[in-house]
Amino acid sequence: MDEQRNDGRGASRGEADPQGALRHELEAEIRQAVEAELREVLDQELRERVVARVKAELFEEIQARIARIKAELEAELLARAAPGPPPALEFERFSWNFRAQHWLLMASCLILIITGLPLKFHEARLSELFFDLVGGVQVSTLIHRIGAVGLMAVGAYHLFYLVAFREGRQNFAKLLPVGKDVRDFFQMLRYFLGKTDEKPRFGRFSYVEKFDYWAVYWGMVIMIGSGLILWFLETSLRYLPKFAADIAREAHSDEGLLATLAIIIWHFYNVHLNPEHFPMNRTFLTGRLSEEEMRRHHPLEYEEILAARAAHAPIPEGPPAPAPGSPPANPSLPSPGQPSS
Amino acid sequence: MRGSSAPGGRGRTAAPGLAAGLAALLGGLALLLLGAAGAEALAKCLVCHGKPTLSKRLSSGRLLSLFVDEKQLKESVHAARVCTDCQSDITVIPHKGEIKRVSCVRCHFKGNPVGAPQKDIYVEYAKSVHGIAAAAGNTRAPVCQDCHGNHNIRAPRDAASQMNKAHIPETCGRCHLQVFGDYRESVHWQAFASGKKDSAVCTDCHGEHSIRSHASPESSTYVSRVPETCSKCHASVAVVGKYGIKTEQVATYGRSFHGIAIKYGEKTVANCASCHGVHDIRPSSDPRSAVYIENIPKTCGKCHTGANVNYAKGKIHVDPTQKEAGAVYWVSLFFKWLTISVMVGLTAHIGLDLFRRLRRRGAAQ
Repeated sequence: MDEQRNDGRGASRGEADPQGALRHELEAEIRQAVEAELREVLDQELRERVVARVKAELFEEIQARIARIKAELEAELLARAAPGPPPALEFERFSWNFRAQHWLLMASCLILIITGLPLKFHEARLSELFFDLVGGVQVSTLIHRIGAVGLMAVGAYHLFYLVAFREGRQNFAKLLPVGKDVRDFFQMLRYFLGKTDEKPRFGRFSYVEKFDYWAVYWGMVIMIGSGLILWFLETSLRYLPKFAADIAREAHSDEGLLATLAIIIWHFYNVHLNPEHFPMNRTFLTGRLSEEEMRRHHPLEYEEILAARAAHAPIPEGPPAPAPGSPPANPSLPSPGQPSS
Repeated sequence: MRGSSAPGGRGRTAAPGLAAGLAALLGGLALLLLGAAGAEALAKCLVCHGKPTLSKRLSSGRLLSLFVDEKQLKESVHAARVCTDCQSDITVIPHKGEIKRVSCVRCHFKGNPVGAPQKDIYVEYAKSVHGIAAAAGNTRAPVCQDCHGNHNIRAPRDAASQMNKAHIPETCGRCHLQVFGDYRESVHWQAFASGKKDSAVCTDCHGEHSIRSHASPESSTYVSRVPETCSKCHASVAVVGKYGIKTEQVATYGRSFHGIAIKYGEKTVANCASCHGVHDIRPSSDPRSAVYIENIPKTCGKCHTGANVNYAKGKIHVDPTQKEAGAVYWVSLFFKWLTISVMVGLTAHIGLDLFRRLRRRGAAQ
């Protein structure tokens, strides 16, 4: 190993002009050795061929060693410079603010679904097990209402976020449905059916994401509205006829099921089961997208961001990070201060 | 349940098993042999007890008639018995010492050799509210004779039996006077009296020998078990359906929050009786009924503070799948189709996505 490294280093150090001299020296030596050994046995031509073959093999071997040792040294240098930024550009998709809302929404929905379904499917054996486990309907109801408070809190906070934060206002503007969404949808259908190879080019939010976003509004209005009627039933019935409470119950039960199905089929496919993301699209955790993902899923936003950067930063900081896979151009410059997004 | 109210006829008893058959045979033989002697013994007793005025002043001050109506005895299920078969502690005339109360268990146990029904009914009775009270020394608690009679015991299917379904309310009412009064007003008795023999009498809800206090979780009238007890008839098309009474009420109750909560053990939630009443259940068309439309606020108000007329606006036993549920039906229908169309759309989108991916993979290979 040591020997290998030594002559590897020697080889890699003597890059441009010492390499030529070395090569000549080696060639001469090979020729001498071959001729000394095979002078009597073989004729001139055959000897030439042997020399050529030995030369080729030796150089291949040397090249391979040089490459390997280069890579080792590079890795060492990179490790020494750690924690360095990942080589590729990254884009922030969800701020901590947005991700926190998602966490609260997810936790609330899980609680509500887990304590809600056994009431809807109260005849199922599994529901019996559930009520046994938590200690009865009253306990389950209490947990359900804790979830409800979480859901209402995230709903209220989100409305506040849309008004009070610049980020919220910007996101909201980009979430409003536009004519392009309909065209994108039809182009996606054409793409699915193989009538075109061109996927629609999405901006920050695709029609799928807009659908998900607005579906939550619908669900929140129905679930919170009917849920409050049922929670404060006696107060509600002071002003509402009994059949209104029945409607609230029916709507709560049915919309709850619809939301649950949408989450476990549609949302789980999009985030987890989709072959592109399996087992999980980590953006909801990290809030980040790689340049590749950005280019692939949100090309219009990507272009917009790059254009804005170019406009704001007249002197670009060197070339953008190279495509992943190919080794960086210069391993001796793993500048830790390189901006990531 | 309906129809057979008490340990049944004697004809049915010999059926199970060789032992029972043998016992019946022995019993029959004994009856034949003792027939003549029995008549003689009875005549001897009737010298005194055949006088309608024969009576005895009890220590409580009550006058106890000691008269035995021979005709009544001869028509009873015990026609072939002699007095001392039951009054076994009487050996001499005039009688000596205190004469004990007759114990029916002398013959009425499983495996008896004298032809009595092969049943251990006394075991059930011993666990009942009546049996426990009697065993605890409550002299007012009923024993067998109090319900079944003494010299006049007949098979329950016999219309003259005091255990016949038609006479059960009266029989129970001898002690449960107040309840009897309420019950006579109820739709159950009205229906029964008008010839609907499926209608419930005391034993249909409370049970027979195993009657327990409604506070006992084993009771068929325990708060959690009331829906089950009512549903024996009210969920059955064969029973109430033929009188035009809806059987869905049980199912709609089961789907209601009341029904779900009671199923999972809640004790403070409404069961059938909370709204409809207990012994004095009346039809909803009766202004005195707790579920008469104008009485609904008061009835709901027993639990829901501040219940007002809004509680009566809308069906109580509402079934969202039925058109008669009105607005609730339409909301239910809307959500049904919304759910179907949304889920079909979303799964189609997923399916197409996967289809395209597969095709691309196929093309790439």
